[in-house]
Amino acid sequence: MDLSIAQRESRLGWRFIAPSVGVIGLLIIYPILYNIYLSFFDVKLTGDKLFIGLANYQRLLSDAAFYGAAITTVLYLVGTVVGSTIIGLMVALLMNMTFPFRNLVRTLILLPYFAPVISVVFGWQFIFDPVNGIYNHLVVDVLKISSSRHSLIGNPNSALGVVILFDIWKHFPLSYMLIISKLQSINKDQYEAAAMDGCGPIGRFVHVTLPELYFVLGTLMLLRMIWNLNKFEDVFLLAPNVETLPIFTYYAAFTGIIDQGFAASISVVQFGVLALLIYFYVKKVLKW
Amino acid sequence: MAGIRLENINKKFGKTEVLHQVNLEIGDGEFVVLVGPSGCGKSTLLRLVAGLEDITAGNIFIGDALMNRIEPQHRNIAMVFQNYALYPHKNVRENIIFGLKRAHAPKDVIESRLSKVVNILGLEDFLARKPAQLSGGQRQRVAMGRALVRDAKVFLFDEPLSNLDAKLRNQMRSEIRRIHREYQTTSVYVTHDQVEAMTLGERVVVIRDGYIEQQGTPMEIYLHPDNIFVATFIGAPSMNILDARLFDGYVELEGCKLVMENGTPGQHRELPKTGLPVKLGIRPDFFIDRRHAGDGEALAVIHNARIDLIEPLGFDKELDVQIGSQLMKVRLDLRTQATEGDTIDLCVDMRRTHLFDIDTGQRLQ
Repeated sequence: MDLSIAQRESRLGWRFIAPSVGVIGLLIIYPILYNIYLSFFDVKLTGDKLFIGLANYQRLLSDAAFYGAAITTVLYLVGTVVGSTIIGLMVALLMNMTFPFRNLVRTLILLPYFAPVISVVFGWQFIFDPVNGIYNHLVVDVLKISSSRHSLIGNPNSALGVVILFDIWKHFPLSYMLIISKLQSINKDQYEAAAMDGCGPIGRFVHVTLPELYFVLGTLMLLRMIWNLNKFEDVFLLAPNVETLPIFTYYAAFTGIIDQGFAASISVVQFGVLALLIYFYVKKVLKW
Repeated sequence: MAGIRLENINKKFGKTEVLHQVNLEIGDGEFVVLVGPSGCGKSTLLRLVAGLEDITAGNIFIGDALMNRIEPQHRNIAMVFQNYALYPHKNVRENIIFGLKRAHAPKDVIESRLSKVVNILGLEDFLARKPAQLSGGQRQRVAMGRALVRDAKVFLFDEPLSNLDAKLRNQMRSEIRRIHREYQTTSVYVTHDQVEAMTLGERVVVIRDGYIEQQGTPMEIYLHPDNIFVATFIGAPSMNILDARLFDGYVELEGCKLVMENGTPGQHRELPKTGLPVKLGIRPDFFIDRRHAGDGEALAVIHNARIDLIEPLGFDKELDVQIGSQLMKVRLDLRTQATEGDTIDLCVDMRRTHLFDIDTGQRLQ
């Protein structure tokens, strides 16, 4: 058979990616499809499955707890994605200036990102411990802002705030790293030209820095959105009482009255929302 | 519009002093070119005027206003950068009018200025394009347009043509001249290219190692260089600097007696003329093949120069010739029939040559 160079090349390309397509198919696509399949069944612990159509979805959509988890998830997403991006941006701008020991400081900033979740979670729980924690010591004993001690992690409402704060603290270094690498590549004469055009520091930030960072910030927020919509361990380990969707699913699937079919339907809905979100985001913000 | 006055300008980067006590006055509407080899401080001087660097000592005035501590955005100057520095996310139109919009110029003013500039630069068809969709020459024009539209007091050019190919560079050079004639704005132009300096400048300032070596009109600098550095830097190919000895009424070069017919002894009256070693500067362009020299001219003759190499350039031929142990460049017109390996007698008008001190490199007067 006579193939053109381009055709031969594309066949070779297929051969190269075949193994990874196979692995992804096995480890990701199959579970997703199986999950969708499961969501139409009432799954018994014995393994028996009873087809019940959309009943799982009906139950889910009439479950107040689900909406509660959805709202918590939205708050968690907005708080963490926006928070860590803004903090990362501010730190990157700061670290882009020249000052003594800059390289040392630049490295130290990455520490929260390196640290294993399980160890820093204990640290954070200790900080907010109602009896021995530094937070309560500061607020009640030193600054005397409040007269009574609070368990910020124990109370689900304030625990959400702590969880968001924890995620921002743990993940802003990633935003910082990506943003500063882009900042360093912005040509200096861009800023000088903007100064000639009459821009002060704020004008230069708005008209030079931000447009240059647009796609980095956009990509960063997309990644963090995907990760955090599915984030489990950070939330569960620090404050198991904050029910974002993954944790809500976990409780349904593996605790109490175990109901895997119902849990499957939650993750299908979550997956659908995520897919839709990514689709619009990529189209509108990243303009692919 | 306004003139620029630099008084005792000093600039240090850390401990390195890159500009030393520079004094320069640029008249209202004048086009001044700062020229020198890379690292001589010319760009730094320009950036000091722009306010992009802080001066270490001295005063900068634009018009009558002291600018030492004024931020660049408040100096009312426009600058064309070597890499153009256009806003990549704005299209051509937005790039050009951005400065006017920042200054809150009324809409009709913006439109009329824009259309004038676009007209002059021939950018009508590109207004909606982003810089990435333009060629180097077009980007250059946009960068010019952005400066022109602003009606700034001073234009600064930082090697604006160095990223263009030779043909485009010539074209843009004439365009810059034309634009300056039209706008008559005080302009400071930095380049390392002496051709640009000669063709563009109403006044040329030659800088070396942070000192002004000489300033004057292009022809003054070309014909009367103050020292060996300026003599060799300006003009291409560069001036030949030869070891010679000065006697009463003539210069001896490798055994040839080059008589100075036109009263040179008078100019050098105070010098000992008994074989004082000097540097003799002769531009390659001022040699004449003896066979083609006119009768009436009073010319000195260099005998038996041996031709090492001939490079035909069309109208001219560039020759590497050897006299005694010294090499020099000679440019003769196409009538010359000599071939490589021949010897040739070369005539030179001694009024067009220069004598420099062998130690200081300064012109002997």
